[in-house]
Amino acid sequence: MAAGPGTHAVSEAPVSGDSLTSASRVPRASAANGASVSIAGVAKSFRTRSRTTQALTSVDLHIGKGEFVSLLGPSGCGKSTLLRIVGGLIDPDQGAVTIEGASPHAARSKKQFGLIPQAPALVPWRTVEDNIVFLSTLNHRAGQTTLPPDQIDDLIAAVGLTDFRHAYPHELSGGMQQRVALVRGFALGAPVLLMDEPFAALDEITRAGARYLLLDLWSRTGATVIFVTHSIPEAVILSDRVVVMAARPGRVAAVEEITLARPRNPEMEDDSAFHDHVRHLRSGLRDHHA
Amino acid sequence: MTAVVTAESVVDALPDEAHRWSIGAFAPVIGIAAFLGLWQASTWLFDVKRFILPGPWSIVVHMADNPGYYLTNARTTIWEAFLGFTLAFVLAMAAAALMARSRFLERAGLPISVLIQVTPIIAYAPAIVIWLGPGLRSILTVTALVCFVPFLLNGIAGLRSVDPLLIELARSVDTSEMEVLRRLRIPSALPYLLSAAKINVGLALIGAVLGEFFALTSKGLGYSVKVAQARNLVDQLWGSIFSLAIIGSLATLLITGLERTMLRGHASQRT
Repeated sequence: MAAGPGTHAVSEAPVSGDSLTSASRVPRASAANGASVSIAGVAKSFRTRSRTTQALTSVDLHIGKGEFVSLLGPSGCGKSTLLRIVGGLIDPDQGAVTIEGASPHAARSKKQFGLIPQAPALVPWRTVEDNIVFLSTLNHRAGQTTLPPDQIDDLIAAVGLTDFRHAYPHELSGGMQQRVALVRGFALGAPVLLMDEPFAALDEITRAGARYLLLDLWSRTGATVIFVTHSIPEAVILSDRVVVMAARPGRVAAVEEITLARPRNPEMEDDSAFHDHVRHLRSGLRDHHA
Repeated sequence: MTAVVTAESVVDALPDEAHRWSIGAFAPVIGIAAFLGLWQASTWLFDVKRFILPGPWSIVVHMADNPGYYLTNARTTIWEAFLGFTLAFVLAMAAAALMARSRFLERAGLPISVLIQVTPIIAYAPAIVIWLGPGLRSILTVTALVCFVPFLLNGIAGLRSVDPLLIELARSVDTSEMEVLRRLRIPSALPYLLSAAKINVGLALIGAVLGEFFALTSKGLGYSVKVAQARNLVDQLWGSIFSLAIIGSLATLLITGLERTMLRGHASQRT
């Protein structure tokens, strides 16, 4: 379904024979909160004085409502660029992206993207509580887009920050700051969440916990998620589908459906299905980066 | 057992806290008192003539005998320094907002600001008076010129100091440039501007005094210094110097207090 010109799918899902359909992948009732994302023939190059780098070439991908899709690949494969093109932060040279039929710029002006960046990037002079609703207070023209207060309270409680609502960012640990950034991304109630390696700066132990927190928050909102990562196990445990990207030029090399059931839990990381997916993706990455 | 240890450490912490406070509040006072004391003692000890170098006590007594004179002149100089300081702040912020946005404007503008800074103001102050005429206008121009560059450079650095990821986040919800300036850039620049303000308190007083020297005025502490030198009035000279020192110190204290209240929770307040 995701394969288009210039892409070829990984031969077969490695474990289960019955390939999951788009509908059964997202069984949550709240999935209607998400928005579908279509990427068609997107290409982008960056020019410096000395040379031109082809960041992306003819990328086609359709992401369903409420689907959790990871973009997996080494640095330089254009996955962050693709994320920014979807979010309307960068314009593609060719091709188009639509969010429920609308352009990224139109979606952005209606505040339909919840961006979760690589580092927490909190406003230093605002408390945790104020940081969480900070994006809602920007661009008032777009109207009220924040979640109701009780839902935000739930999100804050879910990440264990209730006692730190009035703390300032510098009083928090790195892991806590990243949890604030997660909740901030969700607090807009946006139908599409764009996550650019949000756990890259965390240590492995904190990071493992953060993944399940993210899944918990996501299951409450049913938003569509595009998650950029270079960690194979992370992509497998989080996603409905993993998009493997290759570099020079940046392109979609393969798309793998993850057959693990929802909700995901840490025990699944010991399942053979999990390991099969990891092994399969690893060999796929190796083939394209040899 | 644990409770006892905790109680003990609390008791231990108390004198420590008090100790820190006494260092913060008393040490500077003791430093100044020691300096003035040594000065006073050496004028007695070496029998320095009053018309050469009066002791601080006799200067204070002289000021207390003529409070009206010093208050009137201080008011004039404070007003000039304040206006020049404010003028510089407004102009420098407008320039900084433009220069922080455009590398070209920054490149084009910085050499001018370097020229302003490296050319001794005392050399071109008379030229400004000839150009703009005697009086307040020249004094304000001189004062604003000396305060302009610190505000400009710190303003540019401050406006640029916002985390780029935070700017991208703001863009992700389609925030306008003006709102980014108001909500992110200006608050980020605050600690930089307050540092510049601390430097500029002293510079504004230099500018105002210098302006009074050249602008053919007959008011202010700078004028008072000039007259004192011409007529060899050592008491008046030192009285004016003390007045300026007191004004500068109080203004610095004011800005430090402002810094404490405005930057509560600001990352730069971390040590």
